[in-house]
Amino acid sequence: MKLAIVVQRYGADIGGGAELHARYIAERLARHADVRVLTTCARDYISWRNEFPAGDEQINGVAVERFPVVHERNLVDFDRQSTHVFRRQHSLQDEFEWLDSEGPVSPRLLTRVRRSRDEFDFLLFFSVRYHQAYHGARASAGRAVLVPTAEREPSMGLAIYPPLFRGVRAIMYNSYEERAMIQSLAGNDDVPGAVVGVGSDIPAHVSPERVREAFGLHHPYLVYVGRIDANKGCAELFDFFTQYATGARALDLVLIGTPVLPVPTHPRIRHLGYVSDQDKFDVIAAAEALVMPSYYESLSMVALEAWALGRPVLANGHCDVLKGQCLRSNGGLYYEDVREFTGAVDALLDNPALAAALGRNGRTYFDTHYTWPVIERTYLDMFEHLSSEPRHHANARDIEPIPGWLARRRRNVPAAADVVAGLPSGPVLA
Amino acid sequence: MDHNSQGQGQGSRRQFHRGRRGADRRGQERRPQAQPRAQEQANRSDVDVEQIMRDIRSRIAQRHGIELSHQQIQDLAARRLESILDPRGVSPALLDQLRSAAGTTSPAPPRPADPPFTFEDTTLFESHRGAMRLARKLLHPILKLFFNPNPLIRALNIQARLNTEAAAREAERDRRQAEWNALHYALLQRVVSEISRVTLETQSLSLKVDSLSAKVDFNERRVRGIEGLQFQAGTSSGRREAPEPVRPTVAVVASPPSVTVETTSTPAPTTPTTQTAPLGPPADGTRRRRRRRRGRRGTGAPGEAMPGGADAASFDATDASDGDAGEPFEGGDEDESASGEAESRGAAVAETPAGRTEPAVKSEFDPIDR
Repeated sequence: MKLAIVVQRYGADIGGGAELHARYIAERLARHADVRVLTTCARDYISWRNEFPAGDEQINGVAVERFPVVHERNLVDFDRQSTHVFRRQHSLQDEFEWLDSEGPVSPRLLTRVRRSRDEFDFLLFFSVRYHQAYHGARASAGRAVLVPTAEREPSMGLAIYPPLFRGVRAIMYNSYEERAMIQSLAGNDDVPGAVVGVGSDIPAHVSPERVREAFGLHHPYLVYVGRIDANKGCAELFDFFTQYATGARALDLVLIGTPVLPVPTHPRIRHLGYVSDQDKFDVIAAAEALVMPSYYESLSMVALEAWALGRPVLANGHCDVLKGQCLRSNGGLYYEDVREFTGAVDALLDNPALAAALGRNGRTYFDTHYTWPVIERTYLDMFEHLSSEPRHHANARDIEPIPGWLARRRRNVPAAADVVAGLPSGPVLA
Repeated sequence: MDHNSQGQGQGSRRQFHRGRRGADRRGQERRPQAQPRAQEQANRSDVDVEQIMRDIRSRIAQRHGIELSHQQIQDLAARRLESILDPRGVSPALLDQLRSAAGTTSPAPPRPADPPFTFEDTTLFESHRGAMRLARKLLHPILKLFFNPNPLIRALNIQARLNTEAAAREAERDRRQAEWNALHYALLQRVVSEISRVTLETQSLSLKVDSLSAKVDFNERRVRGIEGLQFQAGTSSGRREAPEPVRPTVAVVASPPSVTVETTSTPAPTTPTTQTAPLGPPADGTRRRRRRRRGRRGTGAPGEAMPGGADAASFDATDASDGDAGEPFEGGDEDESASGEAESRGAAVAETPAGRTEPAVKSEFDPIDR
């Protein structure tokens, strides 16, 4: 079987959620199929500046083809267009212009996808919100398998996406909440889909004592791993934690990741910066719990890693996906305000047996759903299912054509934020 | 969402009262009761995160009282507003208009039913057909032979202008009225919200006052009871001429609102405190005040003022004083007083000094009745 993975960025040192997800999947599927990655030359997801050389290369045994991005992202223009399509009634043309503004626009990449009609059995498109996934999936509808990594954010309410969700060959969802959101948005229940997520390379041995000594982590601590960004709920986390830290209990907050938001100067907040994978796993293993303050997640890989290491998770209860995972796994607590944050932290610290039981449940949840054999088998089963579909059945499903010139310019598309606000919400307790 | 789920199965008001009357009013020292439950739950591997979160939320509610979220207060206010704006007295259309007007900052002026009509000197002779227009133009001088249409044209022209101005004035007045309506509605909504919030706070405060007054009442009754007991002991010992070979050991188990007296016929091995206890009638006002203070503090040395079981009484007093303000021994709450009584009885048994024999005679009396 020949597979192509189309993703906006790709690299061994790129740590973004969807990009890392794509790399893990590519490397794992490469054991079962001939996998080729089609991506851009961009390294930075904000500017899409061409930093990698165009052409072929091998990364961890996977063939990668890079294509240049034709223009960098103009943040002012993107912000203006986002405000327009998210907040105001607009036209389909506005949405296409928004997508161009978001990028990464790489016509050569799209041409490569279009010309690979007989080269690949299936093409996996990661992150539906980006230009290459949308237009690439349209260019290869009969073979396009979408990994949307969609979050409950305003862009999901744009009118250009539902036809795509209805027209691709299959969708690999990250979570039940994501599937529920997309199905209620697009009414695509008949499109084959699987909730699969992604696994992680958990080291066989972790050494909590080593990192405690190495980083001087002598107090119990909560750990946050990821981009330190207000969009990830870190500002709220700092607020809640500093309020909690006024109490007598000695608890630190340890941060791992690149800061976009300034880390407050507080004696109980420690920022370790960017650390190696082994250090990251050791720090998580030594923590009382992993805290995930993000409001929008399609799947928190680091939460899965914490569960794999037997540590409980403290998640933002406003995020349906995280809350749903905590409830389904019985492996974590959640909070919606500072009092619940305090109460949940106290419950974990006061009751080590509870924390241990949550960690055990989390590990069981990870072993059942997110180990690599399970993930690989789900993907392979899906490909087998699609391959066995009758040709006329596969051909019957096609993406609806883009409306004509006049229809695209009719200002009758509702504000995307209103569309998303109207979608059913809450965790899915499947 | 979770606030709603918290309130599922019981109306919000009912839950509010329930929270304040139930476990919420228990003392700090009783709160860790939730901990063993969580511990027990944790020992089983089937931890229920939802249940744990419910426990955490109920503990938060106990600690801070039931605090309704802004949204919940808004909902409550909306319900009150509905009841104030009785649909029997107010037109539903007006209500809808008010609500919709409140949601928009500057409501658009209502579109006039017909476009403003302008009347010029050529209006009477206009036609979309060119031939007809030409014919009318040609016949216009003949028409003028019969009558002068100019006054008519002028009058209609003025009337059309007046109509346009009136429509503009009307639109402006409607717009202003809509703004006023929106303002009135918003003000009314805020007033009702504030009233709801204040009412809730008042209810909470009145419950606290009830609780505190019950505690004060109980303490006074208990002090009177202890004093009465001592008075009785002093009188009985005063009646005795000589030390008797067998002295009853009295264990006082104070339990709200009654006090249990356990009398044993077995001679107490040592009752040193009994000897120092003020057995005479409470004639001395200083001693009486001291005893009263001890009784209020509840931390007097065991048996200092009372023979035998005064330690049990002091345990209860400690229990009472350790609780939150207004928490323990609710005189007015039957459930609470019953559980408090049961707990203090259990505590009294636990505090009974080892070696004391089982009570041969057990009598209860209410110190208030004495």
